[in-house]
Amino acid sequence: MSAEKPQITLVIDGIEVEAEEGAMLVDAAKGGDIEIPVFCYEPKLGGPVGACRMCLVEIEGIPKLQTGCSTAVRDGMVVYTRTDRVIESQNAIVEFLLVNHPLDCPVCDKGGECPLQDISMGWGPGRSRFSEPKRHFQKPVALSPLVRIDRERCIMCYRCVRFSQDVAEDEQLQLLERGAQSFVGTFDERPYIAPFAGNIIDLCPVGALTSEAYRFRARPWDIEDSGSICTLCPSQCNVMFTVRDERVQRVFPRDNDDVDNGWLCDKGRFGFQMIASGERITEPTVSGAKVGWEAALDAAAERLRAAGERTAVIVGGQASNEEGYLAQRIARRALGSPHVGAVDELSPAPLHALSAPELGAAVADIDHADSILVVGVDPLHAMPVLDLRLRKAVRHGDTRLVVASDRPTALDGGAEVTARYEPGEAAELLEALERQLTRPPANPGTPGREAEDVPGIGSAGREAEEVPGGDSGAESIAGELRPGATVIVYGERVGRGTGGEAALHALAGCARALRCDADRAGLIGVPDGANGRGLREVGCLSGAGPGFEEAAAGRDLAEIRDGLRAGDVDALILVQADPVRDLPDGPAWAQALRQARAVIAISCFEDASTAAADIVLPAEMYAEKEGTLTHPDGRLQRLRPSVPRPGDVRPVWQALTELSARLDHETGIDSASEALEAIAAEVPFYAGVTADEIGGRGVRWQERQAAAACPPAAEARGERRAAAADSGRPENGSGGGALRLGTYRDLWAAEATERNPAIRFLAPAQRVELAPADGARLGLGDGDQVEVRSNGTSVRARVALHERIRPGAAFMIEGTATENANALAGAETVEIERIAPAPGAPGRSDRSDAEPAGS
Amino acid sequence: MSQEFPYLKDAEDVVAVQRGPEPGGVAGAYRAFGETLRGLKTTMAQVFAGPITIQYPEEKTPVYPRFRGRHKLHRFEDTGLEKCVGCSLCAAACPADCIRVVAAENDPVDRVSAGERYAAVYEINLARCIFCGYCEVACPFDAITMGHEYEMADYNRGDLIFTKEMLLAESLEQTPLRREGE
Repeated sequence: MSAEKPQITLVIDGIEVEAEEGAMLVDAAKGGDIEIPVFCYEPKLGGPVGACRMCLVEIEGIPKLQTGCSTAVRDGMVVYTRTDRVIESQNAIVEFLLVNHPLDCPVCDKGGECPLQDISMGWGPGRSRFSEPKRHFQKPVALSPLVRIDRERCIMCYRCVRFSQDVAEDEQLQLLERGAQSFVGTFDERPYIAPFAGNIIDLCPVGALTSEAYRFRARPWDIEDSGSICTLCPSQCNVMFTVRDERVQRVFPRDNDDVDNGWLCDKGRFGFQMIASGERITEPTVSGAKVGWEAALDAAAERLRAAGERTAVIVGGQASNEEGYLAQRIARRALGSPHVGAVDELSPAPLHALSAPELGAAVADIDHADSILVVGVDPLHAMPVLDLRLRKAVRHGDTRLVVASDRPTALDGGAEVTARYEPGEAAELLEALERQLTRPPANPGTPGREAEDVPGIGSAGREAEEVPGGDSGAESIAGELRPGATVIVYGERVGRGTGGEAALHALAGCARALRCDADRAGLIGVPDGANGRGLREVGCLSGAGPGFEEAAAGRDLAEIRDGLRAGDVDALILVQADPVRDLPDGPAWAQALRQARAVIAISCFEDASTAAADIVLPAEMYAEKEGTLTHPDGRLQRLRPSVPRPGDVRPVWQALTELSARLDHETGIDSASEALEAIAAEVPFYAGVTADEIGGRGVRWQERQAAAACPPAAEARGERRAAAADSGRPENGSGGGALRLGTYRDLWAAEATERNPAIRFLAPAQRVELAPADGARLGLGDGDQVEVRSNGTSVRARVALHERIRPGAAFMIEGTATENANALAGAETVEIERIAPAPGAPGRSDRSDAEPAGS
Repeated sequence: MSQEFPYLKDAEDVVAVQRGPEPGGVAGAYRAFGETLRGLKTTMAQVFAGPITIQYPEEKTPVYPRFRGRHKLHRFEDTGLEKCVGCSLCAAACPADCIRVVAAENDPVDRVSAGERYAAVYEINLARCIFCGYCEVACPFDAITMGHEYEMADYNRGDLIFTKEMLLAESLEQTPLRREGE
């Protein structure tokens, strides 16, 4: 893969075709503009299976017809794809496939974009000799609330089953029964609910699996597809919006191997319904009155001018680079305020070190890494498509996966070693790991294997081993990581809280020790917000301007909140940010927003934060936006407007430039592309980047020449030791009733879940995950309703006992619509009290098993 | 030759045609009036055939059975369900792009059409339609046919967008039919 494969020449239908050695015949034929029809072949699903027999070809020297999808090309091969024998077999296969196919194309959603239609027309006999009754099933049946299955149309290509078994590894879809009776289904007809279930709709080559949300909405000739980026999570998957009547009707992947491998999570796939929602804010309001843009902007400018440098700006994770840049420019240049922050807050110094271009790994590097360390993040929740990527690496390569996290992750099953540290104590583990890795190696020539004799490491091929955090865990991890080609995927959350800075410094140390600056190695930081990285790089960071340029240090988010309450900060601009829901201590934020003199919110929807805002300006949704984003691996990607903005909505960049002009700071920016020009001029490592260069596939700034202009990080080792030392952490609370609280952001705990009718059923109710031992000790059973208390605040939740939870820890979900655990975020330990036993039916608690089991 | 046709450089290409003698007498008179009278015979015959002018709009022009007039949507006669399932094939076939179909899923209890789906919106913009009849050809369920009605003039362009209800309704007046071969 990484090594260049030799090119060979073969002859297909008399045409000389060059191909890479080992390529499949079907792929090689495309090089000669020859199409071999296929149904079951899909390289994204892994190796070929040769199930459908559609691709049979004649190869000189082989007496029987061969499947083109599973025959590798050899030098000098002579292949015929249109001889009488081949045509006869193709006709026979199509006739066989259509024997039980209902041919209800006029009512089928796939009609017009259906490979079975195309192949029947192109390679079929055109008539059937079959006059017996066809096979019948009940149809259409809901396979899940999102996907309908019509088993009569199924041609048994196994694609969906292979996806479930081999790619998502949730192993829910099965082929049931035998022979002519076989059909695709799940055990006990349970709904197929998994984070990536929607992909089977795209994979199905017939209309057997159809999307509930797109059902009967449009025909291929009614629609236009428009490429853009999904901004619902940091995966920034490349998507196509299917647009009909100026509304997004469907989202499907745009197959960018450097970003998403052609997969989408269900949040991205079904999260489009909110774009055309009637609940959108479509007009600017001042104190609830609809006043029109001019009056609203005048009012905003007046309040901001009064607040002057006592203004703070918070930019939400979905904002584009342009929006972030303009927002920080208003604060820093128009108002002279240093208080700029994004929802993903990290301290600039260690972050800057981790963002060094040579330390950055591309997403595609994961495929070829020798080892992968996942620290402090469950990719399934934070960056779902990355989870599939990591699974693929573990499945196909001899990649060794190590997971170190506080909460059990969906990847644990495939990991060689999993280390559990106490909630929020990543620093301890990372520092221990750094010590292990920087220990002078016995023999630097043999990478890392000296750890083989470390106690706690058994022989290869054993079951995944779970180790505690701390030094012994670090030893095991260090043993598994081979220096040279290690990709570290870390959750930027490890950089929060008291030990956060130390954790990031230790992580940078680990990266250096593992030589992450080498080829195929590096770091990928997973932010909370979709554009967390881009926003920081354009200056939405306290103490660092565009391009990490030194800037006056401002308040961090918690200080902004306290400032608003104390009256030290007068005005707050929220750019697509909802601090009440997304930031720690939501209730305090709600109070702060109410007490603030002026809150100006730019938002798509009314939420808890706009409720407290004085001036609300409508914002565009991602399908309406023009701009750029930066992927967590540094890839600049373009958002392109696909649908018109509803009502009186204006682009956010325009609102910000007009606001800036009213504050006597004329930006000279009159379009989104001029905003990008301004960014390119100010961020040294984005220098010269244009929308054309970014194009449809994006460009990693680390791979551009301008990356050399990234200012080198200052060495900050001295202060970090101090930072590590003073983080006096409380003792593990497992002695009494108190438990260490860890919070995480569930994939579905997002506004997008509630705003989209299709996926609303996935919105999680608050739950507290406990180790069974703690459950027994506290007398709590699965499903019990409890109240989790700390420092006078309490959150109601249901108990979910989970064997892989570390005893003494309790995990809750941040960002739920109600009973949001961020109310407890300031707390180290919590008390749990039962208020009601589990109801007879276990309700939602079975959703804790919705995560796919590891490989 | 060359003095008769001085502009002809190469006299070899010229073929001289001999004209017959100038007619005179009876032959000359026939030549002057014969064909004219033959034509007048046809004209005069129509004087006695009576008028063929149709007093439109009091009288309608009859059309041939395969005349392609305004479209009709059909229902099944026994069940009363719409034949159209909203497959949009007519819209795909339409060269004038004047058909708009928005499909929806049938409620099994209160069906609109016989299939899984039905046309929630079915509109034909008759201002754009070129009456080519491709929609009729494309329809897999014979749900749409070209009718005989040709009186579609209206005062507003918007009124020329025919909705599903209008297309399903029986027309008030029957256009008179001409027999095949008439």
